Amino acid sequence: MRHTTSLLLITVGAFAAQLAFVSASHAVPAFSRAHKVECTTCHTIYPELNEYGEAFLKNSYVYVGKGSKASKPAATAPAPAPAAAPAGDTATGEAPVVKGDGDAAKLSKLKAGAMGAVTAAQPAATAAPAATAAAEPAESQSEGLALSGIPEQLPISFTGSINYFTGDRRNMGTGGNDVDFAARSFKLHAAGNFRDKVGFFATYVAYSEQETGGNTSVTPSNNKTDINEFFLQWRHALGTPVNLKIGRFQPKLGLWKTNNKMSVTNNYVPYTYTVGDNSVFRIEQPQDAIEVNSILGKRFFGALGIVNHKGQNEKDGYGHIAYKFGGADYLGNEPNVDLDKEESILDFLTLTAGAYGYYGENGASNSTDPRNTYFRAGLDTELLYKIYRLRMLANYGEDDNVLLAANPWTDVISKAATIEGEVTLLVNLIAAARFEYLQQESAKAAFSNVYLRRYVATIGYAPLENLKLATEFKYEIGQTGVNRIGTLGATFSF
Amino acid sequence: MRKIILLAALITLIASTGADARIKVKGRGANMNFDPASLPPQYAETFNMMTKKCSKCHTMERTVIAIQTGRAPITGQIFDRQAVKAYGIKMLRKPNSEMSKPDIRNVVILLNYILDENKR
Repeated sequence: MRHTTSLLLITVGAFAAQLAFVSASHAVPAFSRAHKVECTTCHTIYPELNEYGEAFLKNSYVYVGKGSKASKPAATAPAPAPAAAPAGDTATGEAPVVKGDGDAAKLSKLKAGAMGAVTAAQPAATAAPAATAAAEPAESQSEGLALSGIPEQLPISFTGSINYFTGDRRNMGTGGNDVDFAARSFKLHAAGNFRDKVGFFATYVAYSEQETGGNTSVTPSNNKTDINEFFLQWRHALGTPVNLKIGRFQPKLGLWKTNNKMSVTNNYVPYTYTVGDNSVFRIEQPQDAIEVNSILGKRFFGALGIVNHKGQNEKDGYGHIAYKFGGADYLGNEPNVDLDKEESILDFLTLTAGAYGYYGENGASNSTDPRNTYFRAGLDTELLYKIYRLRMLANYGEDDNVLLAANPWTDVISKAATIEGEVTLLVNLIAAARFEYLQQESAKAAFSNVYLRRYVATIGYAPLENLKLATEFKYEIGQTGVNRIGTLGATFSF
Repeated sequence: MRKIILLAALITLIASTGADARIKVKGRGANMNFDPASLPPQYAETFNMMTKKCSKCHTMERTVIAIQTGRAPITGQIFDRQAVKAYGIKMLRKPNSEMSKPDIRNVVILLNYILDENKR
């Protein structure tokens, strides 16, 4: 009986232990409201993205296929004569006539452009543009707002996370206990685009649970409020295929952003590890940066960027490339499958491969003392076949002076890898299993080598598309021993 | 007398409008669907399968509106034969759609037929 109780506690606790490491979800219901689509248009179970969500992200939060030169509709034949014109169309299917003083034709054209019409993006297509403009869903948008580029709906969403966890957690912070219930975080997201020209995204942490070290009757208060990401992306700058991104954001390195995963706790180790107490750089951390990125040939994506650190004149630099074989391309176009032929494995197989590199330095602010110079290089791949998804990540890093000492320097080599398999059991039920590995070694005795093996099993269930329940068990082997942590998490967005 | 003439004209107008729509539609809102009685019998099996499988994730209203307007109701994109095939491939690849390639092929043929009929 005692054994059963312990197991139960561990399982329930497994849901909760990871609470301490829970990061916010980035699902954005504002997109659902703006485009009137369900969450599953872009997510498997949110916040994990499917390939259309990935295309939406890469297209600066512009609905794929809309206003894009290379999108599928631009290449299609003119629309058939509608049997029933949508509200607001004229009988001929042309853009509605704008009445009033001034140049009505010009204003009508402006309005059509403001509403994301294909007109401006595909000058070669002469038959479809007017009708396309008239039929865009955004047509009901008021003229003033459209011309101003202001989204019709206030593009704000909220995300809350509640986790319960338990287990034989080691290194528990102050206030941690064997079985812990926690209202982890509450965040605000603002995201969308201005007239399909500029994408924007911001995450504001309104509440994150503070560890309590005082009287146990005190409910933990707010740890802090903070801006997580806050950026603009000028889409197709100066008419080129290049997008220019400025602000605070996660530099484009790995294939997946922080929360693009099924787990409710740890992100992938190759994206999250730090080295020692001083080299606290992480692949996934939001930074103040400038980035240019572009989709080329529909299936290639590249990004280059410069990162600024406060109190440091030297800038960091990074680059990322990715290519997608099979599946929908980065503009959301479906692959060309011959429906008359026998079913082939290639009809369902998608392989995405990405590589990245980051070079930078860190140390004390405004200091010329010996600094730590480091680089990270990584390879990510994703295989998708029907209901199966396999992600593989590998990262190699070197730091040349992690102790920031004048002499001797302590160089550290880091190797990290993750392999994660997922199976979609039902539309709203996904199981995932992950193995992670981290090793950090130095020839110098001053650095304690790091060794970590982590096994994570997760089941994610979405009873409603905007509500995710996840149960997770983590088995972790490290220097300090073994952790068995269970987590039960609920995340909701609205 | 004038009222009777107006009423007759109205009835005639409604009747002629209905005659234009080769494939009739039944129901309203979420229950909207093509009327199977207006489809040739060889499409009956495919129609039933399409209704059952598609309705797992979205209403048939979405499909009906796309066919009737020539525009996908959410994206506003053109909904023609090429788009029908693209959506078919998307659904084929969608996890748990439980539709095989022959299923998708038959649905694409059916929707193309309805598209063509509605264009007449």
